[in-house]
Amino acid sequence: MRVLLSWLRELVDVPGSAEDIARTMSLRGFAVEGIEPVPADVSGAGGPADAVLDFEVTGNRPDCMSIVGMAREIAVAYGVPLKPAGQPPAAPKRKAGLADSRTQGGRPAGKKGGAAGIDIVIESPDLCPRYVGAVAEVEMGASPAWMQRRLEASGIRPISNIVDITNYVLLETGQPMHAFDLARLAGGQIRVRAARPGETLRTLDGQTRTLPPEALVIADAERAVAVAGVMGGGDSEVTAATRTIVFESAYFNPLSVRRTSKRLGLKTEASMRFERGADPSLPPAAMARALVLIETTGAGRPRGRVIDRYPARIRPATLRLRRASLAGLLGCPIPDRDVRRILERLGFTLGKAADGWRVVVPTRRGDVTREVDLIEEVARHYGFDRLPVTFPALAAAPPPVDPRITRARQLRRVLTAAGFFEAVTFGFTSEAAAAPFAPAADLVPIANPLSESFAVLRPSVLPGLIDAVAHNRRREQRDVRLFEIGARFTRSGGERRAVACAWTGTAAPEHWSGSARAVDFFDIKAVVERVCGAVGVAVQTATSADSSLAAGSRADLIADGTRVGVVGRLAQAVADAHGLPDDDPVYVGEIDLDALEQLAAGRTIRVAPLPRYPSVTRDLSVLVADTLTAADILRTVRDSAPATLVRVNEFDRYQGKGIPDGSVSLSLRLTFRSSDRTLTDAEVQAATDRVVAALKERHGAVQR
Amino acid sequence: MSNHPSIDALRQLFEEQLQAASTEQALKGIHDAFLGRKSGTLTQALKGLASLAPEARRETGQQLNALKSDIELALDERLSALAASRPPAGAVDVTLSSRGFPIGRIHPLMRVRQQVEDIFTRMGYEILEGPEVEDDYHNFEALNMPPDHPARDMQDTLYLREPIVGGTWGAHRRSTGARGAPGGAEGRGWLPAAQVRAATLLRTHTSAMQIRYMKTFPPPIRIIVPGRVYRRDNLDLSHTPMFQQFEGLVVGPDVTLADLKGTFEAMLRELFGDVSVRLRPSFFPYTEPSAEVDISCQSCGGAGCGTCKHTGWLEILGSGMVHPAVFEAVGYDPGQVTGFAFGLGMERVAMLKYGVDDIRLFYENDLRFLEQFPL
Repeated sequence: MRVLLSWLRELVDVPGSAEDIARTMSLRGFAVEGIEPVPADVSGAGGPADAVLDFEVTGNRPDCMSIVGMAREIAVAYGVPLKPAGQPPAAPKRKAGLADSRTQGGRPAGKKGGAAGIDIVIESPDLCPRYVGAVAEVEMGASPAWMQRRLEASGIRPISNIVDITNYVLLETGQPMHAFDLARLAGGQIRVRAARPGETLRTLDGQTRTLPPEALVIADAERAVAVAGVMGGGDSEVTAATRTIVFESAYFNPLSVRRTSKRLGLKTEASMRFERGADPSLPPAAMARALVLIETTGAGRPRGRVIDRYPARIRPATLRLRRASLAGLLGCPIPDRDVRRILERLGFTLGKAADGWRVVVPTRRGDVTREVDLIEEVARHYGFDRLPVTFPALAAAPPPVDPRITRARQLRRVLTAAGFFEAVTFGFTSEAAAAPFAPAADLVPIANPLSESFAVLRPSVLPGLIDAVAHNRRREQRDVRLFEIGARFTRSGGERRAVACAWTGTAAPEHWSGSARAVDFFDIKAVVERVCGAVGVAVQTATSADSSLAAGSRADLIADGTRVGVVGRLAQAVADAHGLPDDDPVYVGEIDLDALEQLAAGRTIRVAPLPRYPSVTRDLSVLVADTLTAADILRTVRDSAPATLVRVNEFDRYQGKGIPDGSVSLSLRLTFRSSDRTLTDAEVQAATDRVVAALKERHGAVQR
Repeated sequence: MSNHPSIDALRQLFEEQLQAASTEQALKGIHDAFLGRKSGTLTQALKGLASLAPEARRETGQQLNALKSDIELALDERLSALAASRPPAGAVDVTLSSRGFPIGRIHPLMRVRQQVEDIFTRMGYEILEGPEVEDDYHNFEALNMPPDHPARDMQDTLYLREPIVGGTWGAHRRSTGARGAPGGAEGRGWLPAAQVRAATLLRTHTSAMQIRYMKTFPPPIRIIVPGRVYRRDNLDLSHTPMFQQFEGLVVGPDVTLADLKGTFEAMLRELFGDVSVRLRPSFFPYTEPSAEVDISCQSCGGAGCGTCKHTGWLEILGSGMVHPAVFEAVGYDPGQVTGFAFGLGMERVAMLKYGVDDIRLFYENDLRFLEQFPL
């Protein structure tokens, strides 16, 4: 709400500067977005420069979308009186040379007492509880310079004397008004009714609109002439040729105006006030103001009496305000005299009650419907800064922390220790970027996306992470290790949490000792194993068919028979789509944290006794087909060995010279130990022989 | 008795050269220069003795021999000292650069998040997460924003084309403190896998969890819900379509606005150091009274500068006393309990705390940005 300081000062003698008012009012709930110096108003010719204060009026305070409304708040804040609204600002300004010789002070209520040639009927009193109309003979032209300046300073373009008066009254009082050309209203009628099915209207902005079925319209005897509370129609608007007008000053149902405004995609100064809730008591006063302005500015004279149709009377609410509630919510008692001073100056009427007050709420304050709303009014003007500072008492033992939060911290420790930087990327992505990670039918599209790049919820954390890798690659960063913990979404699985990591560049960075090495599958595998291990789950890898990863370097992560994630080298097509260079592979892994945690649930740490007898190791080299997986071989070793085999690991793998094509030499280290005795050489040899025999029998392995 | 002047000069020359010599090579050079069999200056001098008169020869000879043995001794000492300081076999040059031990970083937003979580944990709050996809009831309606409420315009919402199943929450409370019978109607009773069944929108604020929590647990309540929220905002210097919030909710029999003030002062001073905190009246549909909370501008110390738009204050969070309509929606008696709620933006905190002027930096994940936040 742009408020011209000189206009404001006509209503309230506020002592401070614009900056002072801004500071004071921001602590009363009206932040000031800016102070704009403007040349002095004509009224103050030779006086100090003027300013516009741009107040941020919150959605609950439509009553402050006006000069009077802001003046009232400022008067309370500064403890100065609010001058009665409706003082014609024209009075001191007629000196400014308005070409008006007519006598003024014509009372709006016509003495003839006649209908003045207009018939007003409210057909939908629920949507239009009150409609005030009046007729005036006018001489179209420009409005006086002072009025034009005030409108312009307030952000409204001057149009003509009559239209400017409607806007001036709107700005001053907050009551939206409209002017119709009486000659263009068929049958001299105003009918407030619901739109007819398929009814159209060419609005003032020149567009022909089909009116939504629930819309409330102002119609003449034949057709709609305005969208009630939103915008007038082009066919009935006042023009240079207009001789007689009908002023409208009404109260429309907020919800109805809001729905219509939304359906039409049409937001106006009027609709913004009506949809938040105008003051049902205001229309007659605003009409009187408009009619005075017509006369004082020489735009014309009222004809006949003002018609006030008020079929659905809105009565002011009465609320209880208890001292105990006030003190209970604010944390300290507020002196009675402050309560009375604040509320009365805001326009509330206070009556006594045993435990506090009975408060009558002015109709402009539709936002005040409960005791707590009154408490807010008191606190706002009493000053939040005057309330004490205390600390809430702890009444119960704090509940446990969500383990997911503890888990996320643990994963951050594990992954940062492995050299990974944490990334945070958006929860949505483009359809193309999502495609490699979920079937099209499983993607979750956003109904109203901002752009194509945010069209679907991410089915995987990876697309965003790969984008971040690409971003860094384009900025001279060859070694990139990133991870992210966050939600991902599919239609079949819903919202699930995941952790993903991506690694490109070196596994060991360049060093003078020559130890640099590029990252490979077994590096990223170690990372995902470590992540799963941190949660308490051991995972196995199995060859995968995941098409986002490169064939031959991809694996599913399996825990307790469940697939909990994938790991491998990013498919080249996916890397290309993200603009990554061909030469450096990107290794990625992603794990479903919800699944992992379900598997880990209830796992506790139980300590095993330390070994008391020495272990014995045996190394074993076998030639096997190179299509055989290590997992198969190790399974055979474990199956065939006695329980004293505590560990088996591959320590060498060789293909090439001396090894037949299609074969591989695999060296295994077997560690045996018993918990109750020292194993003999013979026992260990027998066990090793059994293993060799089993490998030969199951896999055709040849011992080297 | 006067010393042969050239002998003193020789001694001085030797001492200067010895002083400057730091290697075995240099010491050998000195040895040769003075005592070299043919051209050593001292050797020459000794040879020259033969031409002197017997008296002078004896005296000069003594002096020259004394100098010779001094030089030999001094050189030996220095040589053995040098040998003692030579590095042992296999010694390394400790000034060569280290092998490097790649260490990652925690994202600055998560750094802020962990810090705020820690502050509230110590204040006895429960920290928990909630689903990111939500339904209209929890995100708006129960928060005193019925359909067509103008306040919905304040939060431009992203909707899903079709509903999906939202994330789980509160599994850790399954066995403790739950009210109502398991398997009851959504929200009414305690669902063992409390989950959003038909989520239709991306939550615009973490406040949706206020409703889920209060519908499940009785007061008193003291919770913090960190998480991602979504708005239909274009990317610019100060907006991103997704950002991170903390929701705070405290409910009990006597929770006051003064308690809210005390809580924020404690929290913000711990987060930002020695700052002033002030409350400004504001409007949110789900709180009454509502307040924006400001901290004094750290760039200018409150004097007014570009950062604080010359007000001396920086807006840091929105808050208020829980609206009675919200209590009614979750089945609490507003006559029996009061409470306060707040929403704190992690980006806002991180921007002020670390001097970041473009919110997009948090989402680009540029390593050169991230590495500025040490572990």
